[in-house]
This record gives sequence, structure tokens and C-alpha cells, in this order.
Amino acid sequence: MERQDRRSQILKILAKSIRRIIEEEIPDMDSLQEIRMRTGQPLRIVKDNKDQAVPERKYHIVTKEEMRETLDYISRYSLYAYENELRQGFLTVEGGHRVGVAGKVIMEKERVKNIQYISSVNIRVSHEVIGCADALLPYITKNMQVCHTLIISPPGCGKTTLIRDLIRQISDGNQYVKGCSVGVVDERSELGGCHMGVAQNHLGARTDILDCCPKADGMIMLIRSMTPQVIAVDEIGTREDIHAVEYAMQCGCKLIASVHGLDMDEASKKPVLGELIRRRMFERYVVLGNGEHPGEIREIYDERGRVLCRDLRAVY
Amino acid sequence: MQRLAGSILIIAATTGAGWMYGTELKNYLQMMRYIRYVAGLIKGELEYTGAPLAEVFRETGRRVKKPFSTWLVRMALEIDEREATAFARIWNRGIDRDLKELNLKSEHSILLKELGTFLGQIDQDTAGRSMQLYLNRLDLEIEKLREGLAAKRKIGNCLGVMGGIFLVVVLL
Repeated sequence: MERQDRRSQILKILAKSIRRIIEEEIPDMDSLQEIRMRTGQPLRIVKDNKDQAVPERKYHIVTKEEMRETLDYISRYSLYAYENELRQGFLTVEGGHRVGVAGKVIMEKERVKNIQYISSVNIRVSHEVIGCADALLPYITKNMQVCHTLIISPPGCGKTTLIRDLIRQISDGNQYVKGCSVGVVDERSELGGCHMGVAQNHLGARTDILDCCPKADGMIMLIRSMTPQVIAVDEIGTREDIHAVEYAMQCGCKLIASVHGLDMDEASKKPVLGELIRRRMFERYVVLGNGEHPGEIREIYDERGRVLCRDLRAVY
Repeated sequence: MQRLAGSILIIAATTGAGWMYGTELKNYLQMMRYIRYVAGLIKGELEYTGAPLAEVFRETGRRVKKPFSTWLVRMALEIDEREATAFARIWNRGIDRDLKELNLKSEHSILLKELGTFLGQIDQDTAGRSMQLYLNRLDLEIEKLREGLAAKRKIGNCLGVMGGIFLVVVLL
């Protein structure tokens, strides 16, 4: 993504008064990670992993009007069109940037129907890391084909970024893997960062994305409709997800999935996933570390649990 | 001979004016019907796709004739630019700028502008119902225009001819 594009994409969705502050205070968007707006509270940003109020000399208190204006810009004056996304607490804007929202939750039949009186907005700037899976790819491919791979990682350690780059490389092909069609089920729009159905992140030329689709349903839909050679899903967790993963593996598709966990032991203890691991359904396990930098690969295991590699250089 | 020619010209001119008046009324009715058609398309697009307003206008703009297409496509662009603090401003500005040539009566212009005050601000179901309410009000206006049209055209034509004759008599 072009630097200038990213800057204008972010500025465009902010209320004009806040736009001016960000323009003056943050000339370089590369290090900007988050913009946090809370009604009645100072405007804050997260930059270089540091949370700070802006402007530094005299804080700017976010007003209700600014919040409403920002929401108008985020939704392009069409909040009704994002009801499904809002129900999950976030929406994705042009450029793949994620906007998390909080406010009063409206319930219907014991399910979240919508969020009203939005009082907090968190704009997370998308930072795609092209090439972050370069070091991993030789370990998870065999005969120019990708292996069934499970990425195990605690939250915030870069598994989504890693999967995204894996998808791109598998789809486009390189010296380790022959380019093939990849089906992506992107339940929370994190992998593709889709805006109006179009991926804003680079996912490769042979990638088909089901955006905002439940993983279990999406995997089956993709197999039936798009005949993918590889299916990629992020954060599998429920029983249905794991049954769908098993189904996909038995349909001749290679699978790349991620799951929350500290290590192999923890993943093996998960109720349904543990059974798949014991049956050696996955051919590779990649464990990400919880170190200083995201994307540190602690270990790579084969299907028998033998260590193929330890402490792979941080790839980000 | 000159008097005869002059009289014929006067009567022809006033008859033409009367006929023009009737034609304008007919065209206005047709234009109101077209506004209803455009509003119906927007409603259908909103309800079926649930897409944001910019996409709805862009899609509808492709299917309608000028100046409505220009109006809708320009509004879609302005929405994407996100420069106006509220959608109603984009909507009203668009009507004043792009639909000026339609010479809408003030009550019909106000009716159309009212539509912009709730679009995008409410959920999809309510937007659909509000659009239906607008269409119903538009139907009433069209019906009012249609009812009076035949009589008004007749009066226009008669007044044109009679006015011409009256002028000729006065001038002679």
C-alpha cells in the first residue's frame, strides 16, 4: 500500500477537527498503529507501541458531534449497511484498516442485534508485512506443495500477518511452492481486509475470499463452489470449525489454519483439535513465540511431533 | 391583406402559447413520474442489496437518464470524498445544482429534499418504510397533477385561441 494512500485513507474517515490534529501531530503514518476516540475523553494514539494523548501540549477532548461525524465518514453516511459488521463490534474501511466500536448494545432474542450510542472508536491502521513468511515457507512445503499446517500462537504474536503472507506466496507461487488456487474464509475480514468485497491486502492472484462468512460454512461453500487446492482460515476454535477443517482435509484440499495457544501441549489438550493432532492430520505445526517482537517462530514440528526447527529468526 | 395576415399571426401565436402551456404541464407530469421511477429504483436497490448509499446511487445512476444520472453519480462521488458534515447537505446541494433545469415547483423540491434527511441515518427496514411513505406522497402529487391536467390543457388551448381573437378585435 502506498504511503500517501494510507495517509489519505486514514484522514478521510476522521471528523474534520480531528483530521487537522492528526495531520499536524503525525506527519509520518508508518509508525502509527491506532487512533482511539472516546466521547468526553482526550484523543489518543498508539505510535511505536506507545500510547499517548494528542496534541501533547493541550489534549483534545472528543465531542459527541465529532464521534457522529467520524461514524458518518467511516460508514460513508450509511451506517445501516454495516449492521452485520457492527454486530461483531468492528468494520473494515478502505485500505483494510479496522475500526472497532463500543457503545450501548441492543439485544434481540439473546443475541447482539446492533450497537447504539457508539461512544468509543478505535481505528487500527493496517500494516501488511510482505515477505514475513519467507523463512517459514521452506519448512511447510514438500514437492512444491504446501503441507497441512497449523499455526499455534498466543494473541497478538502475528499469526494473522503470517497467514496472510503465506496465502499470498502460495497463491502466486515461488521456488518452494507451485502457485495454486487458494480459498480464504475470512470471518472477521482480518486476512483480506475486504472493503465492499474486494481484498485491500495482497492475497495473491489465485485467491478467492469469502468475507464475513462463518468459518465452518465458508470452508464447505468454497470446496463446493471454487474448488480450491489450499484453504486458509484464521483462529479456528469451535467444534464446527474443526469438523469443517477435517472435512476439507478429506476433500483433497491442503489446509492452513491458526489457533490460539502457547505451545503444542496446549493445542493437543483442546477437545476436538487435540483429536486431529493425535490422528496426525496436520503435517506441520508452527509455534509462534510471545517475545519482544511479533512473528518470532519458536518451533516448527512435523506430524510426528519431531522438531524441524527452533528459534527461527524473527521475520518481521 | 396586411390586417388579415397580422390577425392570423396573432391568433396563431396565442394558440401556440396556449398549446405550449398544456405541453409543459404534460411534461411536468411525466417528469414527476420519472422522479417516482428513480425513487423506486433507489428504494429497490437499498432493500435488495443493503449497500451503502454511494453504491446505491452509482448503480441507479447507470440506469436512469440525464440529469438524474449526473445528480446520482455526483452524489456518489461526494459521499466518497467525505467532505460534507451530513448526508442531507450533499443531497440538498445536488438537487439545487443538478436538478435545477427541471424547474421543480417549490413544494415538490421540498418533498424531494425531505427524503435526504433520513436516508442513511436509520436502519434498512425503516429506510424502506420511509421510502415507501415518500413514494405514496409522490403518488398523491402525481394524481393531483394528472386530475387537473386535462382541464388545464383544455383551458390553455381555449384561452390561447380566444385571447388571440380578443387581441385581434381590440387591435382592429
